Amino acid sequence: MGFDSDFFFVALREAIKYTPVALFLSVTALLVGFVCGLALAVSRVFQLRYFSALSRAYVVLIKGIPLVIILLLLYLTLTCLFDDLAKGFRLPVRSKDIDLIWVAALALSLWSTANIAELLRGALLSVGKGQFEAAYSVGLSRRQTLFRIILPQALPVSLPMLCNTFIGLIKWSSVAFVISCVDLLNGALIAATDNYRFLEAYLAAALVYWGLNLAVEQLSHQLEKRLRLPVNEVIH
Amino acid sequence: MLNGLFDPATVLVYLPRLLLKLPVTLLIVVTATVCGAAGGMMLALVRLFRTPVLNQAALVYISFMRGTPIVVQLFLVFYGVPLLLGHLGIDINRWDKLYFVILAYALNTAAFKAEVFRAALQSVPAGQAEAAYAVGLTRLQCFRRIIAPQALLIALPSLGTGLAALLQDTSLAYTLGVVDVMGQVHAIASGTNRMLEGYVGAALIFLALSVVLEKGFGRVEAGLLLKRHS
Repeated sequence: MGFDSDFFFVALREAIKYTPVALFLSVTALLVGFVCGLALAVSRVFQLRYFSALSRAYVVLIKGIPLVIILLLLYLTLTCLFDDLAKGFRLPVRSKDIDLIWVAALALSLWSTANIAELLRGALLSVGKGQFEAAYSVGLSRRQTLFRIILPQALPVSLPMLCNTFIGLIKWSSVAFVISCVDLLNGALIAATDNYRFLEAYLAAALVYWGLNLAVEQLSHQLEKRLRLPVNEVIH
Repeated sequence: MLNGLFDPATVLVYLPRLLLKLPVTLLIVVTATVCGAAGGMMLALVRLFRTPVLNQAALVYISFMRGTPIVVQLFLVFYGVPLLLGHLGIDINRWDKLYFVILAYALNTAAFKAEVFRAALQSVPAGQAEAAYAVGLTRLQCFRRIIAPQALLIALPSLGTGLAALLQDTSLAYTLGVVDVMGQVHAIASGTNRMLEGYVGAALIFLALSVVLEKGFGRVEAGLLLKRHS
């Protein structure tokens, strides 16, 4: 069986058609991960009681378990739980009526929360103790110190790593295919189910993911340049 | 509700059966790391010396491998390599799937290691090589005795995270039908219909491995740094 370039373009069109699904998954996970990850990172940097230990345990747990397993565990428990609850409340909905994209989005969000928490913690610590001390000494509260002094310095530092996480999320959104959620990869594969031309389908999906990630990389470089400029002007 | 779904005791029953397949997972990780490191070093050298044509090819290869999901790469290797080699008259359709999986992970690892090695080699000051040449070391000696040991120390943290990431990535090998830890979960589940306990067992194994890896790398790093400063 050779390479069928006609079918390759069919699969490519399908993959592009389902690109918004991959983007939805990765953007949702990035936003949720940023908010929750920031909370975890802050709780560790400020050494909040209980929360600090909890956030540490969360990061070890999520980073230690492969994303596929997290996704499959969520899928199994959530669908069963949902069915039980729906039956209990005599609701006419069942788990098969729910779009599985939400399960995938949840799994990716849990995963990105742990990753972003770690990178933001590093960025927050990179600001330096003197900045915290100086802020406290002029009478700023913890909250004011965080939002006015530390974060404005830490966020530009973390930007390249956040873009890396986003690229990782775009790539990992492909695991949604194991719970048969129709995303970019599955869209291309479904086109191939009739003729078994999976090579063409995988290649088409690969090119779309590649293109997406190259675009994000470019965007990241542009953003970095913009953020660096004012700093350089001050120095020179 | 969940009582019928999840039975903690079953996890304990499954764990030994899952651990039975741990060697397969470790085999994939170790072989892919060794082959990937060798390939990554070659790619890094090609990039550093800016070998014409090869440099551009390496650039595209690294970008592709870093920009596409590992699942897709697994299947591309599985379907694509036999087709490519078939054109050359080599028939590898009967190969065990494990070889394709190892090849795919090795190709992926090479791309990531190439960037790590390149950055590490570049970070060793040029004066080190100049000093080595000045005392009469050959190029190979200079690389082996002066540059590589310093670069390795710089690369160590990234190599650690790379190994941990590879371990996590191998959890996808089952999608090709390889019976490693994750594959065993599905093999057990097909007979007993108890998926959840299997996944929890696999999660525990991966969690334990990654904690051990992290602690181990932390120790090695601390030891090497101590040795350097003493």
